Amino acid sequence: MEFAWTEEQQAYRTRVKGALDELLPDDWDSHYAPQGYGSADQINFSREFCPKLAERGLLVRHWPAEWGGESADPWEQFILAEEMKWRGEPRGPQYMNVNWLGPVLMKYGTPEQQEEHLGRIRRGEVIWCQGYSEPGAGTDLAALQTRAERKGNGYVVNGQKIWTSYSRLADFCFLLARTGQGRKDISIFLVPMDTPGIEVKPFPGLVSDGHLNEVFFTDVEVPGSARVGEEGKAWDIITYALSFERVGIPRYHVGRKLLDKAIAQLAREGRGDDPVIKARVGRIVAKFEAARLLTYVVVDQRAKGAGPSVDANISRITASEACTDLTNFLIEYVPDCLTTGDPVLREFHRGNIAATIAAGTYELQLNLIARGALDLPRGN
Amino acid sequence: MDMELTGEQRLLVEAVEALGSRWQAMPPGHERDYAHYEANLQGALAEGGFLRAGLDMGMLEAALVAIEVSRLPVVTSVGASALVAAVLTGDVPDGPLAIVGGDWRKAQRMLPVATHALALHGERALLLDLAGVAVAPVASVYAYPYGRFAAEPDWSAATDIGDAATLRQWARVAIACEAAGAAESAVAVTVAHVKERFAFGRAIGSYQAVQHRLAQCHQIARAMRFLALHAAWSGEATAADIAATYAQDHVNKLAFDLHQFSGGMGVTCEYQLHFFSYRLRALQGELGGADGAASGVYDRLWGAAA
Ligand SMILES: Cc1cc2nc3c(=O)[nH]c(=O)nc-3n(C[C@H](O)[C@H](O)[C@H](O)COP(=O)(O)OP(=O)(O)OC[C@H]3O[C@@H](n4cnc5c(N)ncnc54)[C@H](O)[C@@H]3O)c2cc1C
Repeated sequence: MEFAWTEEQQAYRTRVKGALDELLPDDWDSHYAPQGYGSADQINFSREFCPKLAERGLLVRHWPAEWGGESADPWEQFILAEEMKWRGEPRGPQYMNVNWLGPVLMKYGTPEQQEEHLGRIRRGEVIWCQGYSEPGAGTDLAALQTRAERKGNGYVVNGQKIWTSYSRLADFCFLLARTGQGRKDISIFLVPMDTPGIEVKPFPGLVSDGHLNEVFFTDVEVPGSARVGEEGKAWDIITYALSFERVGIPRYHVGRKLLDKAIAQLAREGRGDDPVIKARVGRIVAKFEAARLLTYVVVDQRAKGAGPSVDANISRITASEACTDLTNFLIEYVPDCLTTGDPVLREFHRGNIAATIAAGTYELQLNLIARGALDLPRGN
Repeated sequence: MDMELTGEQRLLVEAVEALGSRWQAMPPGHERDYAHYEANLQGALAEGGFLRAGLDMGMLEAALVAIEVSRLPVVTSVGASALVAAVLTGDVPDGPLAIVGGDWRKAQRMLPVATHALALHGERALLLDLAGVAVAPVASVYAYPYGRFAAEPDWSAATDIGDAATLRQWARVAIACEAAGAAESAVAVTVAHVKERFAFGRAIGSYQAVQHRLAQCHQIARAMRFLALHAAWSGEATAADIAATYAQDHVNKLAFDLHQFSGGMGVTCEYQLHFFSYRLRALQGELGGADGAASGVYDRLWGAAA
């Protein structure tokens, strides 16, 4: 066990920070960051930013060399992610591409799919959305109703998705659809969003911009070559993708930055020495540090080539509790963060309202921990 | 960054585990105690060189020893002896040691069994030889022995062994390590219980209301362990305060849920939970508790801003 970063890792972090300083515009912190990485401005910015990151060899360094990476270890992937998160994720939704969509295609895609998609992702040119959830299928994803029916060599898709983050501006959808009668007869399709019959309808809500969309599929024709893996075998693939997603966002890393801002404001207001605030803030810091270390446990397992483990669920709940405590603190002690106050604090709040819901709810994680770590018996 | 034990660290932990295996259950005659200090284990740890792991191998290794020993239902002064003693100046004996501070009239943890006390005395840390010092045992349900000084100790007879801040920092790491070990065992005792205890034809542990809270308790124990290890490894006061904050802050949750799911059995001396839960309870309020440690975190990180 060793908690220190190697010299190479420290140098890499410096390099990433340097690239961010160079590539982000002067109004990044004031204009872009407060809008959140699902906003139109940030998504459009990511289309300029990611290619530049790619040119510097920073976008997919953790990918294997055969796919254009440098086989850098997952620690570098996380150092990159931490620094991106610190600045407000200028990769926009493209963090998903490089962290799990790409790796999923490397493992399960056909050579043609790899040829078509991995290059675009690697060059930072493409926005994806994930079409899993539906009005009647969230936690119980296998209840999804969107159907892909065989027609000739291809499929015809009908149904509706919801909460499809980034879909408004996405080029492709990683779509889950039912291809058979059995509960888990579900397949994955790579669908261009400009295919006729796809309609995206944003709707308003509490969370940051870009996440709340409905996507309707009406007689959408999808070629058979767009299916990933065997028909009806989406489940393994989705489990693989979600295991990355659960630790994909280093939420723990922004805690300190947000607290810096909140405390600077409280100090200006003459409340920097309030013992109640100190006691609250110290606890929040401790939770963020717990989340950091427990996430590192997962990264370490990945760096050593181990498969997904229950530690991903543990790290996830630790991080989402820390974020929840911080959002609570902001509302109680810096309530103007949702009105006239610091827009970065507002964005943190709005970006984390659903931290315990998106990508598998808090309760789902607890179910998995109860089973995977404690071996508690199933009900009924 | 490497979150797994090295081969050497694993051997160390396994050796402590092997040594402690005799005390997995309470020794005969002590099954119904509130707390049992195990002199033989303390002696074996000293003899085996485990209490010197901090000096011989490193503070992370000392923390591994402290956590592992704290998983046992019997008590030693492993936190003070393996961690705190290693960083103070001069030759601090293996103990058993009591860390004392605050009002000398109040009950102090480990005092009746300790050979020496590590005292927080103003800005200084003092080593007080307890031979000939009158200490009266204090009865309590806490799972550590408590005692109090019959009269104010003669501080002038004590040896200066460093500054109080160092003692406080490492006492917090010791709290975090002992809490982590106790938390892991407290969860394990309760998880075993809910798998065997049936209600309405099902194991209690199959009810989701129970599972979710136990999953949270497991997460807490994991977090305690890594924060404690990190604090020991880094040697930084902020990390020590963070580890103590997290540990002390989460005792309420652990104590409530774990006792709750143990039902009436959980409040008996016969059932092992209290050896862990009331050790956690004893640690919860020490050195200012979670509020004190959390304020330390804040002051270190933002003192200047305030
Ligand atoms: C901001 C945001 C972004 C999102 N982005 C995407 C996206 O890009 N693509 C996509 O496909 N989806 C996305 N989602 C959807 C997200 O994955 C779902 O919201 C989530 O899986 C929960 O589903 P649900 O909302 O239908 O809640 P439900 O499944 O209805 O759950 C409601 C509550 O019931 C609890 N519950 C359900 N089942 C159980 C059980 N067995 N035991 C105990 N409790 C249970 C849940 O934990 C939760 O607390 C996003 C959601 C949000 C809020």
